[in-house]
Amino acid sequence: MKRKLLILALMLGLTLSLCACAAKDKAPQDGDTAYIQEKGTLVVGITDFAPMDYQNENGEWIGFDADMAKAFAESLGVKVEFIEINWDNKIMELETKAIDCVWNGMTLTEEVTTAMATSEPYCLNGQVVVISSDKAADYQDTDSLKTLRFAAENGSAGAGELESLGLEYVAKPTQADALLEVASGASDACVIDLLMAGAMIGEGTSYPDLTYTVQLNSEEYGVGFRKGSNLAEAFNTFWKKAYDEGTVLKTATAYGVQESIIEK
Amino acid sequence: MLAAVTLSLLRGLMTTLELFFLTLLFALPLGLLISFGSMSRLTPLRGVTKGIVWVIRGTPLMLQILVIFYGPGLLFGLPLLPRFTAALVSFVINYACYFSEIFRGGIQSVPAGQYEAGQVLGMTRPQIFFRITLLQVIKRIVPPMSNEFITLVKDTALVRIISVYEIIWMGESYIKKGMIWPLFYTAVFYLAVNGLLTLLFGRFEKKLSYFR
Amino acid sequence: MPVLEVKNIEKRFGTTHVLRDITFSLEEGQALAIIGSSGSGKTTLLRCLNFLERPDKGSIAVRNELLFDAADPATQQEAQVRRKRLHFGLVFQSFNLFPQYTALENVTLACKLLAQEQPDFRTGKACILKEINERAYTLLEQMGLSERAGHYPHQLSGGQQQRVAIARALAMSPDILCFDEPTSALDPELTGEVLRVIRSLAERRTTMIIVTHEMAFARDVADQILFMDGGVIIEQGEARQVIDSPRQERTRQFLSRYFAG
Repeated sequence: MKRKLLILALMLGLTLSLCACAAKDKAPQDGDTAYIQEKGTLVVGITDFAPMDYQNENGEWIGFDADMAKAFAESLGVKVEFIEINWDNKIMELETKAIDCVWNGMTLTEEVTTAMATSEPYCLNGQVVVISSDKAADYQDTDSLKTLRFAAENGSAGAGELESLGLEYVAKPTQADALLEVASGASDACVIDLLMAGAMIGEGTSYPDLTYTVQLNSEEYGVGFRKGSNLAEAFNTFWKKAYDEGTVLKTATAYGVQESIIEK
Repeated sequence: MLAAVTLSLLRGLMTTLELFFLTLLFALPLGLLISFGSMSRLTPLRGVTKGIVWVIRGTPLMLQILVIFYGPGLLFGLPLLPRFTAALVSFVINYACYFSEIFRGGIQSVPAGQYEAGQVLGMTRPQIFFRITLLQVIKRIVPPMSNEFITLVKDTALVRIISVYEIIWMGESYIKKGMIWPLFYTAVFYLAVNGLLTLLFGRFEKKLSYFR
Repeated sequence: MPVLEVKNIEKRFGTTHVLRDITFSLEEGQALAIIGSSGSGKTTLLRCLNFLERPDKGSIAVRNELLFDAADPATQQEAQVRRKRLHFGLVFQSFNLFPQYTALENVTLACKLLAQEQPDFRTGKACILKEINERAYTLLEQMGLSERAGHYPHQLSGGQQQRVAIARALAMSPDILCFDEPTSALDPELTGEVLRVIRSLAERRTTMIIVTHEMAFARDVADQILFMDGGVIIEQGEARQVIDSPRQERTRQFLSRYFAG
């Protein structure tokens, strides 16, 4: 009896893995643009990340990335749909076609470029150290950071910078959570995107007592598509045209990120 | 501000409650079926059922949610279930397995003499189950069931891993706007729902206290 | 003509031989007491009669109707067993009353379920149910429990519960009423009330089989006594004769232990 069950289980496992391989092989990635146009919707995976993607009072998604995503969808002749995703699952979301692209101020790290088909970079960014204003004067260079307790978004570019400096940190689900760590005093400092820091801290924001000091690196933002997708090409063509027409800069100015746009 | 936050949290609560009630609707009967399977006299059926229950109870619910939502796409390139449906399916399977063990415990704790007394009086199997055993089983499983119901309310928070916007997700989204309190404010809603459940279960237990 | 005829019953549990070649008969209106030490097979025999166990060999007939024959599969169909059980009533050692029903409901439940299967139930529903209730009430009255009809089992003493169980068995009007050590689970001061009830049933010539450890009671109330040991009938005969002057040495030993202790 037991042996029979074991054999049955093994056969089941084998069948499943065979199916899995077969399915992987025939994945029609080169037709991704056609796939999007056929279903009529571009599903954009985002997180709530001002000024790139955030909701206005009516619950509509706006921001530099959101507005450009709408324009891109229009150029493909399809509708756009925004889905807030769990950032840790972005690659699974793409691979399983739960979403069609990640367009959310995404830093083109090595992890991202190996796991996704990425666009040419469109925006410059850096990782900065955020700290309370009264302590800021003492921490103006990388050497001074060693005594601080850090927080950073799990798996983010900021976390990567901290790791390469050999500094320990508390991993949080989002950059906003990392900011919250600092505001509540649970951590001394956090590392987040320059763009986000510009929009979220300092006078007139929710965190008036925080400021940013050291910029640890400089990096580029891009849009991620499924591995092997031809949508990245379509995006590059669209972006060049939109840049030439002035749409890109106009939209960037509306959200205060015009300084960071990469010239085409 | 409070009104706006409350309203948006209530929207999240609706999703939470929808998941809660639909899970109960499907998991309770499925759990009863599984409990019959795990008590079956057919050895293969019993083995398979017990194996399934072991896997489901032995792995984290969060993993099951991920597998059910992403699994078909990752393994077979199949289209995915809608997010809420995937969440519901994982909850139904998971909770049915836990319920089945509670049912099994309840059914097996009714003395064999009750069953035999019914048989000797010429009652049929269904008559014995519905007229004699069932109410005694229900009485015995009310306390563990109230635990499961309350846990279920709180477990719904897990589905935000696949972007189902339940109440914690709604609360968390305010953190990005610099508001921390809405996240903790969600506790009030959980407490209200679970308070109501505790009250209802208390009443029910009292109603069944007329016999021992 | 005997009302019950049991022939050559055998029963094994795995390798244990619990009953061997049990043969006896019972006349209408007689009370048969089965005595013997624990493990002698008395209870298993009662359970076989009530179809709670299936004998491996032998046959059981009531009023010349063959209810069970190990050699004849036609007599063992599951669907028929239910009806056949109704020839017998069984009062358990541990009462087994249904806790969620009152004393009266315990007595009427099975009758009502059975009545629902009658073709004329719909038309005469109210009348039939009333009749069942009245009869149940009369039975409880006979048991001295008319005051307790609305009580739940946990509100009753052990002796009262056992008397409700007797009324419940009687309500089905069995041909033969079986008792499985009806006073063994009771405190000593409560056995009297149950034994009195059984005695009054005997006086009214109810056909009964009583498995018991109460030797004096068996001697006074039963017409016949059957002594079992190791799954075999050692001795059977008229009650006073078996108790007062047993023919077999093993019976004598068993009884002397009882009356000495």
